[in-house]
Amino acid sequence: MRKTWKKSAALTAAALLAASLSGCGGSGQNDGTKAPETAATEANQEAAESPETEEAKQDKAEEKPSGGGELNIYTWAEYVPQSVIDRFEEETGIRVNYTNFEANEEMLAKLETSNGGDYDIVIASDYIIKIAADEGLVKEIDKEKVPNYENIDPVFQNFFYDPENTMTVPYGPGIPLLVYDPSMVSCEITGYESLWDPSLEDSVALMDSERVVMGMALKTMGESFNTEDLDVIRAAGDKLMELAPNVRVLSQNQTQDYLLSGEVNAAFLFTSQVVLALADNPELEVVYPEEGLGFGVDAAFIPANAPNSDNAHAFLNFILDGEVGAEVSQQTYYLCPNKAAYEFLPEEFQKSLVISTDDIPNGEFIQDVGAEATALHEEIWTEFKAKLD
Amino acid sequence: MKRRSRTMDRAKASCWTKRAREGRWWMTVIPLYGFTILFVALPILYLIVLSFLTRAQTWGVVNQLTLENYARIVKPVYLNTFKESFQLAILTTITTLAVGYPFGYFMARLPKKRKTMMMLLVVIPFWTSALMRMYGWIIIFRSNGILDKLLMWLGVTEKPLKLLYSYPAVLVGMIYSLLPFMILSVYSSTDKMDWSLVEAARDLGATRLEAFLTVTVKMTLPGILSGIVLVFIPSMGLFFIADILGGGKVMLVGNLIQNQLQSGRDWPFAAALSVMLMIFTSIMIWLYRRLSGVKDLEGLL
Amino acid sequence: MKKKRLRFASIYQAALLLLMYLPIVVVVVYSFHASKSTIRWQGWSLDWYRKLAGNRGLLEALKNSLILAGLSSGAAGVIGTLGAVGMARVSWRSKGAVEYISTLPIMIPEIILGMVFMAFFAAVGLPFGMVTLVLGHTSFCIPYVFMMVKSSLVGLDKSLGEAAKDLGASEIRVFFDITLPLIMPAVLSGMLLAFAMSLDDVVISIFVTGARTNTLPIRIYTQLKSGVTPEINALCTIMLAVTFVMVGLSRMLGKKAPIN
Repeated sequence: MRKTWKKSAALTAAALLAASLSGCGGSGQNDGTKAPETAATEANQEAAESPETEEAKQDKAEEKPSGGGELNIYTWAEYVPQSVIDRFEEETGIRVNYTNFEANEEMLAKLETSNGGDYDIVIASDYIIKIAADEGLVKEIDKEKVPNYENIDPVFQNFFYDPENTMTVPYGPGIPLLVYDPSMVSCEITGYESLWDPSLEDSVALMDSERVVMGMALKTMGESFNTEDLDVIRAAGDKLMELAPNVRVLSQNQTQDYLLSGEVNAAFLFTSQVVLALADNPELEVVYPEEGLGFGVDAAFIPANAPNSDNAHAFLNFILDGEVGAEVSQQTYYLCPNKAAYEFLPEEFQKSLVISTDDIPNGEFIQDVGAEATALHEEIWTEFKAKLD
Repeated sequence: MKRRSRTMDRAKASCWTKRAREGRWWMTVIPLYGFTILFVALPILYLIVLSFLTRAQTWGVVNQLTLENYARIVKPVYLNTFKESFQLAILTTITTLAVGYPFGYFMARLPKKRKTMMMLLVVIPFWTSALMRMYGWIIIFRSNGILDKLLMWLGVTEKPLKLLYSYPAVLVGMIYSLLPFMILSVYSSTDKMDWSLVEAARDLGATRLEAFLTVTVKMTLPGILSGIVLVFIPSMGLFFIADILGGGKVMLVGNLIQNQLQSGRDWPFAAALSVMLMIFTSIMIWLYRRLSGVKDLEGLL
Repeated sequence: MKKKRLRFASIYQAALLLLMYLPIVVVVVYSFHASKSTIRWQGWSLDWYRKLAGNRGLLEALKNSLILAGLSSGAAGVIGTLGAVGMARVSWRSKGAVEYISTLPIMIPEIILGMVFMAFFAAVGLPFGMVTLVLGHTSFCIPYVFMMVKSSLVGLDKSLGEAAKDLGASEIRVFFDITLPLIMPAVLSGMLLAFAMSLDDVVISIFVTGARTNTLPIRIYTQLKSGVTPEINALCTIMLAVTFVMVGLSRMLGKKAPIN
């Protein structure tokens, strides 16, 4: 009795293992040789024939379909304000499912697993959209269904991830800036280089992101964020190690609080954090680093096999409405990419959220660099962190 | 397990030996076998396979076998991360044991009604989000925070301290987060202890301390062991405490794996690191079991 | 003498509990803060509670999390307890290996485990949602229950069970009347911890959930863009209050019933 059970368990296990291995082949690769699964993935862009998508559809059928259908939004928590979601539901009768990821890479892995299905609207960062588009996971926007598309400020268009403006709607653009407390800092801060000043010992907050911090070091050497030259990256790494004594905190979240509480005297902040920091303490100084600005855009797109594509278009049109766009920018504290929204923004927001768009042409995106350069960045970062504590 | 002549034998030998008829007891382990094989063994096999594959240029994995991922781990940078994690895990485990054992022990001596109450009191803080609790600590300990203001008001210190974002802060965070595992492990094995044995030892002339060391500690050893395992294992991988209380400056194996999966987009290397972590943790626990000579606990890892 | 020791014990326990609750007190206090910033105190307010009441997404996430934690700690309680008791009695050669493998989910950092689960569930064809969440969470809940129960079985007095059996009790009776009450503290401890772990898991959940099921930790940990809002403080406060009221009630009821 026991033996037979064991045997059948072993068989089941073997079968499942085979299934999982062949399945994992399909869960992500783009090499030159193109495994058959990859080819299938690409051929599948429109016809949703893969078992996963079918499963997902069955799942959908089981759950109650409401009058206007559903819309599955996938992005960071609270990035689309609850008030905006509520209003969209009210106006269209579409029920919104709002789910979240923490890192862009988690989103892409998930999207790939569902073969560009399951989700209707994804809001994520520029570089990952580029990868998703290259993997064939992004759907072209039908502009007939999005009359408000023309509200997009052209300053925020024609970027590397969507050069023809066919797939994305900019949602949260931003320029990271240096902010410092002039009452606590004795040296003059003009750019990234100033952070190396010995007087700033143990009093600088940086972003916990290797490409951003390495990018600062690269810029001080007059290099691009995205250089793939391993020797240049190594040299920037050496320079970065000298910054270690000055770094008090590395953080992604609420970094402005460190500056406001006096834990640090200078910080490199995202746009939203700059706005919040200034709101709390107007005495703080903002620096546009002289070596060159960084720039990033979070944009919305529709996955290739979105189950509710029409609703997704309706949502894009909705957030591109002037009033709604103003509401979004006011809640998220990012730059406003919506021309029609400017008139709805209160004056203090106009100042902080619109003006700096002049600097955008000077900004450089952080883009994907090849496998070797990425691995080197990771290695330097690990070494840097070991030096910090 | 076969010794029969000593007093302690009564507690040590159990009815769960081979001698007991197996009867239909095998049925009770079927769910565990089934679940483990289906939902643990298979995914982990996949993990192992993944660790031998190659990363693609931008995204994903290429089905091309390689040992490169394991070769990379030997680089000093990464070995150093393992070393640091290991030190922190050992420190965390020892301190947690020292702090948690008395608590669990005292808890088991409480009157019955208050035991359940205490158990809940210990666990309830951990039902609220760990992130929120960490932010709570930050508000207390940061520069010009609650503690600083209190100390300056009392005149103990003159200017704000820099207590956070350091190795000790991470250690404290780890101990705080893992303490309930130790407390409840010790408690659940002390609770069913046969106190008459302690009294017997006392009657035979042992001092209170001797009785404690020879009888109580021995009998609660299973609890200590499971506590150590439950604290040591997670402390190798808990990365968000290092990120928040350590101000991102402390890099543990958990953080490293997280980074490789996210910004590094190198899944095979992350898988290889995980496999190494798994092997390393298993060896540590196996060694511990051997050194502490707990033969009765065969199978308790 | 004995009294003195007891006093030390109470003081020690009280002090440690105080420390455990300290950050929670801060969380509670800031749920009544008038501002989002925690730098300077800017007065009391109930705003965040009002906002919380209007945040359907957040409340739904809480509901999902409670269901998920209940189901997975419950499943782990049954599988883990039965498994530990059974493992102690069977003598299969594979049992050491299975025990070892069953503890692996807590040995591997969540993020890679989550990714592996995602690939696995997709390969098997399970639709992502509550089912995959429960499976994923049960896998890391089992070790807590299993190890707690297993360690409490080690010293169990065999004579009790055998005496009962000699008196004609069936094995099932012996299990429910004698073994289970003795290992109950361990089962409960394990399940309470498993519940806590499941209620706060974010990484595995992110990977194995679907487009319709958000959990509370996902909602909390992914507020990177806005910074964590005090609505979460308010929610934590309410959860604590409800838990304490429930504990208090059950205690009052327990006092009346003589069985406890």
